[in-house]
Amino acid sequence: MDQPAGLQTGTAAAAFQSPLLSLADLGKRFGTLQALDGVSLDVCAGTVQCLLGENGAGKSTLCNLIFGVYEPSAGHMTFGGAPWAPTSPAEALERGIAMVHQHFSLVPRMTVVENLMLGQVKGMLHRHEFGGRIRDIAERFGFALDPDAVVGELSVGERQRAEIVKCLMRDPKLLVLDEPTAVLPPGEIGALLDICRRVADSGRAVILVTHKLAEIARVADRVAVLRGGRLVADESMANADMGALVHAMVGREVKPLDVALAEPGEVPATEASTPRGFALVCDGLTVEDRHGAVRLDNFTLEIRPGEVVGLAGVEGNGQSELGMVLAGLLRPTEGQFYIGGTELSHAGAAAVTAAGGGIVPEDRHAVACVTGMSVAENMFLNKLDQFTRFGLLQRRALNEATRGLMRIFDVRAAGPEVVFSGLSGGNQQKAVLARELTVDPLVALVAAQPTRGLDVSAVEAVYRQIRAAARRGVGVLLISSELDELLAVADRVAVLYRGRLVGERPAAMKERSAIGALMSGQLS
Amino acid sequence: MTALALALPDRRRLAGISIPFAAVVGSMAIGLLLIAASGKSVPDAIDAFLDGAFGTAFAFGASVNRAVALSLVGLGFILAFRANLTNVGGEGQIAVGGITAAALALWPPIAGLPLGLAVIVPLLGGTLAGAFWGGIAGFMKVKFGTNEVISTLLLGFVALLMVYWCVQSTSLLRQPQTSSATLPESLPIPDSSKLPSLTGDPESPLHVGLIICLVLAVVTAVVLQRSTFGLRLRAIGLNELAARRAGMPGGVLLVAALAIAGAFGGLAGAIMLQGEQYYLKAGFSSGYGFDGLVVGLLSRGSTVGVLAGALFFGFLRSGGISMEIMAGVPAALTLVIQGLIVIAVAGSVIVVDKLEGGSR
Repeated sequence: MDQPAGLQTGTAAAAFQSPLLSLADLGKRFGTLQALDGVSLDVCAGTVQCLLGENGAGKSTLCNLIFGVYEPSAGHMTFGGAPWAPTSPAEALERGIAMVHQHFSLVPRMTVVENLMLGQVKGMLHRHEFGGRIRDIAERFGFALDPDAVVGELSVGERQRAEIVKCLMRDPKLLVLDEPTAVLPPGEIGALLDICRRVADSGRAVILVTHKLAEIARVADRVAVLRGGRLVADESMANADMGALVHAMVGREVKPLDVALAEPGEVPATEASTPRGFALVCDGLTVEDRHGAVRLDNFTLEIRPGEVVGLAGVEGNGQSELGMVLAGLLRPTEGQFYIGGTELSHAGAAAVTAAGGGIVPEDRHAVACVTGMSVAENMFLNKLDQFTRFGLLQRRALNEATRGLMRIFDVRAAGPEVVFSGLSGGNQQKAVLARELTVDPLVALVAAQPTRGLDVSAVEAVYRQIRAAARRGVGVLLISSELDELLAVADRVAVLYRGRLVGERPAAMKERSAIGALMSGQLS
Repeated sequence: MTALALALPDRRRLAGISIPFAAVVGSMAIGLLLIAASGKSVPDAIDAFLDGAFGTAFAFGASVNRAVALSLVGLGFILAFRANLTNVGGEGQIAVGGITAAALALWPPIAGLPLGLAVIVPLLGGTLAGAFWGGIAGFMKVKFGTNEVISTLLLGFVALLMVYWCVQSTSLLRQPQTSSATLPESLPIPDSSKLPSLTGDPESPLHVGLIICLVLAVVTAVVLQRSTFGLRLRAIGLNELAARRAGMPGGVLLVAALAIAGAFGGLAGAIMLQGEQYYLKAGFSSGYGFDGLVVGLLSRGSTVGVLAGALFFGFLRSGGISMEIMAGVPAALTLVIQGLIVIAVAGSVIVVDKLEGGSR
């Protein structure tokens, strides 16, 4: 499996076959959003077709069209020589198309064999026999899978292999994998790519969605690039040039984001702030997970007051772990971090806040707020003591203060006592931002994916608040997988890849390709 | 404290009251049918029930005393439940409370204490013992992730067997063995440690436990609805990670919640011992912990609901015992009727929830 890409046997033969799957001028519109536009692509049996693109480029939409989750709004498809217009995934499975989704659909408490029997067998269950079939398939494609293992106790990679076997049991002609490597720890990616290769070598077609270039070089026969819903490149791996692919993937586009960028005079005055000590210092932060895999590797970064540092990287490269460490919710295996000079690596969340750390967590619903409580309670969740007298909560004062904050930060809700889950995502995020920006004194702000799922106006408001904080002398660490966002808001951009800081660039448009290459693991 | 209930629109409130009421009446009717089917006289059974529940000053007092114990367990339950912790160990917490109160009351220096301390010290001792017992479960939850349902339940069995052990060994609490007929019980506690009567009427067993219970009900309601501590419990119950991110001491809150629930159980045990039973014997807690749990569950987190439910169960228990003794209704049948009522009330709560959800 170590032979270089482009030299695989069978590729040449496949190139002359008529395509197994053919997309012609395919389009998909969701309301006002044109998710896919005029995509034409041929996928041949016996090949691995990689699909490359940034977040929101339309990769998942394309997969879902092929798999029958959505119906296209324009264009048509043919599969195995016949017109292909699926109305449901069941129909796709029936015709020989199987898909491994980003989120697995396995019941954690059941064993592998029980999970795979779900929906595939009727009447009596013959676990042993079925388990044998699972072993056979796994062996054929060069990996091991214990059919009697309980799914909940398996690693992510093993769970994914169970999903793949589930697909292969139906003997599909086409296997679609939607960003399969995004969830995997670095060590397991190679094994997955080998499986893809073997599946293709068995005469099936494989569509592999990814945004990591290194993976493409290893396994692809052909590579197609989506950007903003359009197909911008489609070539055989033998002819592909990595630099050109990066450029195709991250090339400038007129996106709604630019509306937010068009604000005048928003470049923070870094020079003006006095570098009397750093706002945030990370010194060799290292996180190992329970299985001993290194998720964050010797992460070192210094942020001055008034500076906005963007941390770029494709999701799953250690950003979550870094965010949890800086939030005081995860103790690093090694290393320290300081906010305004206070060492906090083992101090906990309350101490981070006390030292002047404002944290906008990546996962809004799981970490940032209690959706079942009111707006007021959420906006002052970390400052309840200020509104407590003799142990009793001073509701009136709390509501009054909340109304003030809601005005300043433009949080739109019927009132302070409205339940938080009733707010739109944008207003929820503005409320969280308001809470963290009013940490007093605010020294450093760590905002992780702060604009995820927000509409344009909310995105703009979030950026404006972050910039304003920086102007007041707050050091900001902005963790994001959206490159446009980082280039718009940050002064410099550091890149995280597989848990390591692999490079740093000024946040300028002309650096876009270079940063994109770093994100994809192309060390320059 | 009924602010929440009062704030609901009238029609919805009406449904909220009438549906559970109808459910109770319905299940009682089924109960009467069952009694008739078992060949007993229904009028006799009803007479016996009413007599046993409210008929005499004694019956009424005994029912209310039962309700006091049930309320305390129920109050502790809803407090811990606010932090999404289900304390099913009321039975064991009552038991350790009873053991401790008995041990303290039977310790001569304490019986001689002035100013009511002979009453108060065993009460406090029982409370602390219960808090300790609940706190163990909290500690295990925080430290090892042990599910509190399992730990409180199993600690309950440990406590029940500890009662048995205490009353079997003369070196512990068993009364001096003078003959083979000596029962495995403790000595009765001295008069100075008994809870004072509330009415002064020697016919009525009603004791000051009722006052303690009502005061604690008000305190619980204030803590749950008005205090920052109550809000923190709610936050940790709804989203522990977010609460911890906001700087709340998650572990401390969880241990505290279970310890408080345990304290209520322990106090219930001490009050049962010092108010009515006066000596410790095997099976001392006799199901109050589990009935209190049901009361807490059915109350849906409302303090008033706990008091009402406890009163209802108190009367039901007294009446049931009386039916058994006076009308010969089998004990199992009274339990069947109780079970029917619990299911009916729980079911009606779901119906009311759906109605409220639908009209939103």
